[in-house]
Amino acid sequence: MPEKSSNRILRRPGDPDMRSLAAYRQNGGYAALEKAIRQQTPAQVIQQVVDAKLRGLGGAGRLTGEKWRIARRAEEHQKYVICNAYDADPRSLVARTLLEQSPHQVIEGLMLAAYAIGASEAYIFARSTFREGIDAVQAALREAVDAHLAGRDILGTDFSCTVNVLGADIGFMGGEETVQMALIKGRRGMPEQRPPYPAQFGLWDKPTITNNIETLANVPFIIREGATAFSSVGTASTGGTKLLTVYDYVPGSAPQVIEVPFGTPLRDILKLGGITHADDEMRAVVVGGAEGGALPISLLTTPFDFDPLEEAGAIVGSSMVEVLPENTCMVHWAMERSRYLDHESCGKCVPCRLGVKRITGILEGIVSDLGLKSDLALLDEFADYVPKGSLCGFGIQAPNALKTAKRYWPDHFTMHIEELQCPTGTCIPVRAHRFVTKHVLP
Amino acid sequence: MAISIRDTFSSITQEPTAPMVRNDVGQPSFTITIDGKVVQAYEGQTILSVANDNGITDIPNLCNDEKLEPTSACRMCLVHIEGEERPLPSCNTPAVPGMVVTTNSDELFHIRRTNLEMMLSDHNAYCQPPCQVDCPTHIDIPGYLELIAKGSMKEAARLVKEVLPFPYILGLTCPAPCQKACRRGLVEEEIAICRMHGHAAETCLLDPPVPYVQDPPTGKRVAIVGSGPAGLTCAYYLALKGHYCKIFEMQPQPGGMLRYGIPEYRLPKDMMDRELDHVWQLGVELQTNVKLGRDFTIDDLFAQGFDAVYIAIGAWTSNPLGAPGEDAEGVVNAIAFLGEKVEGKTVPVKEGDEVIVLGGGFTTFDCTRTSVRLGAKVHTVYRRSRAEMTATMEEIEDAEAEGAEITYYAQATRVIVEDGKVKGLEFQRNKLGEPDASGRRRPVPIPGSEYVVPCNTIIPAYGQKPDKSVLDEKSGVKWTKWTTVQTDPYNFMTDRKGVFSGGDCQMGAKTIIECVAQGKLGARAIHAYLSGDDMTEVSRRLELEERKPDLFDIVPYKPVEPKVKMPMLPYEERKRNFRLIELGYLKEQAQREAARCLQCVCPAAGQCDLQRYSIEHGLADNRFHDGEPDDYHDYDVDLSHSFILRDPNKCINCTQCVRVCHDVIGPDCYGMFGKGFDTIVSTPFNVSLHDTDCVSCGACVQVCPTGSLMMAERYLKRYSFALDRCIFCGDCVEVCPHGALGETPNFELSFFNRFGEDITLEKDDLANAPNYLVRQRLPRGKKDLPVMSPLVRPLPARSIRE
Repeated sequence: MPEKSSNRILRRPGDPDMRSLAAYRQNGGYAALEKAIRQQTPAQVIQQVVDAKLRGLGGAGRLTGEKWRIARRAEEHQKYVICNAYDADPRSLVARTLLEQSPHQVIEGLMLAAYAIGASEAYIFARSTFREGIDAVQAALREAVDAHLAGRDILGTDFSCTVNVLGADIGFMGGEETVQMALIKGRRGMPEQRPPYPAQFGLWDKPTITNNIETLANVPFIIREGATAFSSVGTASTGGTKLLTVYDYVPGSAPQVIEVPFGTPLRDILKLGGITHADDEMRAVVVGGAEGGALPISLLTTPFDFDPLEEAGAIVGSSMVEVLPENTCMVHWAMERSRYLDHESCGKCVPCRLGVKRITGILEGIVSDLGLKSDLALLDEFADYVPKGSLCGFGIQAPNALKTAKRYWPDHFTMHIEELQCPTGTCIPVRAHRFVTKHVLP
Repeated sequence: MAISIRDTFSSITQEPTAPMVRNDVGQPSFTITIDGKVVQAYEGQTILSVANDNGITDIPNLCNDEKLEPTSACRMCLVHIEGEERPLPSCNTPAVPGMVVTTNSDELFHIRRTNLEMMLSDHNAYCQPPCQVDCPTHIDIPGYLELIAKGSMKEAARLVKEVLPFPYILGLTCPAPCQKACRRGLVEEEIAICRMHGHAAETCLLDPPVPYVQDPPTGKRVAIVGSGPAGLTCAYYLALKGHYCKIFEMQPQPGGMLRYGIPEYRLPKDMMDRELDHVWQLGVELQTNVKLGRDFTIDDLFAQGFDAVYIAIGAWTSNPLGAPGEDAEGVVNAIAFLGEKVEGKTVPVKEGDEVIVLGGGFTTFDCTRTSVRLGAKVHTVYRRSRAEMTATMEEIEDAEAEGAEITYYAQATRVIVEDGKVKGLEFQRNKLGEPDASGRRRPVPIPGSEYVVPCNTIIPAYGQKPDKSVLDEKSGVKWTKWTTVQTDPYNFMTDRKGVFSGGDCQMGAKTIIECVAQGKLGARAIHAYLSGDDMTEVSRRLELEERKPDLFDIVPYKPVEPKVKMPMLPYEERKRNFRLIELGYLKEQAQREAARCLQCVCPAAGQCDLQRYSIEHGLADNRFHDGEPDDYHDYDVDLSHSFILRDPNKCINCTQCVRVCHDVIGPDCYGMFGKGFDTIVSTPFNVSLHDTDCVSCGACVQVCPTGSLMMAERYLKRYSFALDRCIFCGDCVEVCPHGALGETPNFELSFFNRFGEDITLEKDDLANAPNYLVRQRLPRGKKDLPVMSPLVRPLPARSIRE
């Protein structure tokens, strides 16, 4: 495993500023777009992306090329591509960084995706608070359109794809692809049931591909350097690198954005992110952002990849790695996460809107020393029910915090319930009444 | 709803697809398997649509309607699909050839049930009030409590009188089974329901409201034997129906046990007479001092021209002491004792006497407290424990506080007689053994534990039975083995046609309210009989009406507000007098207490899909009760619109109303607002529907699966139809949004109607119907109704008016 990050997307300090078209072109920018449009068919582009083992870097992990293939196959003239530049977790800095630093790379990736599937309209959907990023990408877009690298008649061919830049700020749900499509249609930002999948029936019921901004930013490299070069870094199932935001628990410390190959063990990620705490100072490392799972220090050898993380109980999710200090009560942490998610839920489906609220209520009871032994079975039941019943990924991943906390630190729960004591002595009661089971009359 | 695919010819190379099969009518289709059954499906059809088309209609769903684009919000229609890891909603998943679907499994049942539990855990509403269910006469308790809280005492009394003619009397004497069921008791303390209608009635005793307009005379005559609560109630309601009623009473004054069994301190007789006047004011005649069997027989009544007879003779024969020495002087008949005291005659209890009263019911304590007031030293002895006494806690505590001594677990075995007079009573101690038929544990005597209590008067109050001797074989009326009149259990007709019976004599000695309930139902049955109805059908209908419905217990957090206690006469002031022990509420106190009612009624009860599915899934528990205010929502109800009532508390966020108003009708009056747990469907800024583009079509009401959106109760006038002026233009058919009028192919006007008989209904028709009805055991979904219904209170299967 390489010790230092192999930055393919992320600009290191000292690297040239690539926000202008000229600078980008000078460093090999838009060569991939030229190659693809002039020398390759869309099917070949898709094949390369499939061979490169590029997976959805927004957290879902679906093979990007396969998704493109489904959209390609659909017999529709009007297709759409959406670049998901919305950081669902407000603490994640990946999309913002890419928009600010590499707007042209994003545009090139977007045009390559549009060419591959045959889309004539594209959207870049960002958080409206990314003022710098949106300005940068809009400026870059103007330059690109003028140079016929985006918009009408790209590179003098009859392939056209207009790009719209949109900004919204609706909380965590804005990162979901069907939510973005709903917002584009002017509806309330609530997800739609999948299947049917947007690759077949998406925006305005037309085939729509939504790719994360980082996924798209990787595409030029694949086309320019080839699939083998791309997948030379990474693991057998996932090619390439991942941008991560690493958070330390020391108050006032700035988050670090790093780029690591897939397969890098978590311990190396922490080191690269500038975290120097000793093992016994840390309680857990949370991988995946707001819906991520907490892994104990013993699992720091876990390689950062979709499957190993899921097995351990965490997710790639919002590409965040954060460290919890040793004096964290995991029940309290799970409760805080649950509370946040309960506010961020879109409110459409019953298991998520009400199930997460009720899980929060039970956890609040446990934290306030009102827990009963039956609560543990109830939490297990709901940790199973909410993912099974929920409509979208938000609900499916919502109990991750609870599941990992219970899996790796069951003693925290039992201590709160049986001994009415916080394992770290930090919990303050937040409730006066716990839920009571009532029997129906008569 | 099919998701369409265009059949375009495009230059994009197509992947080979499976050849489309055409079915026997030429439509391209394929097959899928649902629950092992191979069914036909069309391209783009959802699984739910395929299932419904092929007769599989039991996939539950709360947020789908065939008019609307599916949204899969409720998660009830989840099904297993082979090859998919997690269950998918059938309302939104397109069928593909060869799909294998399972619609039911333990896992799916559990998911659906938890969905329902989740919805109910934040459902700040109630299906039906347990108080109304438990009240034998089914008074609309939340209804009249609301009226009292608003200050409309006479209206409240009128509402009670629809099923109970004597709210003042019952307000003082009823043991109030409604209060035991009151859900407010789960919060802090039950509402003082009984005293509420007592107060309301007291304010208008002299100017009584009549529940509904009295019918014109029908010419039928009904004879009622007995002027107790059952007989009087029966007369009251029959008189309102227009029948001539005459009551034959054996005592010198009417009232039955109300007068002769209940002491003055509990029910002052002058006030009682004022309420009994309401019966006479309807034109009911009374003849006193005539006794059935002695002065007349049932044949005589029919010979006099009566068309029906109602026997309500009560249970006036006291059960005997059942121990040797019971004939001695000093063993007093309990009923006779109470009756004579009321009449003002001399009674065998006076100052300084040592009195022993035996038993544990109301009569026991009436005798006890009367004797205490007469100056005697009273011992009350019961053979079981305090918890098994049938008298209420208040009676027992008041009796003790007034000076009586109560002993438990003792049985009288022998009277100690000297010179033919009672000198003492021997007791044997008991312990409790196995439960008997009534569920109460049987007392088992402890041998060798006898002891004697000296006394000079013994009053056994072991219960009463009807007097069997008044009706013999010739009358045609039979008796049961428990010495009660034998009748059909639901239409109260005895073995003799046209002779009905109810009250204590038919049930055995029970409470006043149960007798009133019997009288009311007896009046219904007699009216049906006089109208020529088939009595088996009447029996079936009345049985259905009286069935206990399924309920749900949902008690969100409410701020604690204690009960307003009825001020009582202090114990010191009760000595040696028979003043009424309850002092009565002030108007402000009554309003305050009535406002505590949680109003456990939902107009959608019986039509609510949420209720129906919850019953089907056996949802009896909710594990998320009694939390904190933040765990639940408490929205304001919007009743401002003339036709559509909105209660966001019952909303389950299915968004059907949003979609129907936006996609189907157009005005787009609703939206989903808020985020997370606080998401709710409402009008923009929660304004009244009047301030939106609402066209009052009621489509939102029709799709709403719960009672969140309801049609306002409408007061129907009688609309007359002048057929000779009709030009058959059909305009009325076109404009009616409810489909109440229709055209036939012959271009006549056909009278569609909701009730199977007349086209028009008066308000009085609705009022004459019983106010409480459970139409059927499992409620239907709202969408099964042919038209949008303004039901607020469920209506009977047919109109009672002929």
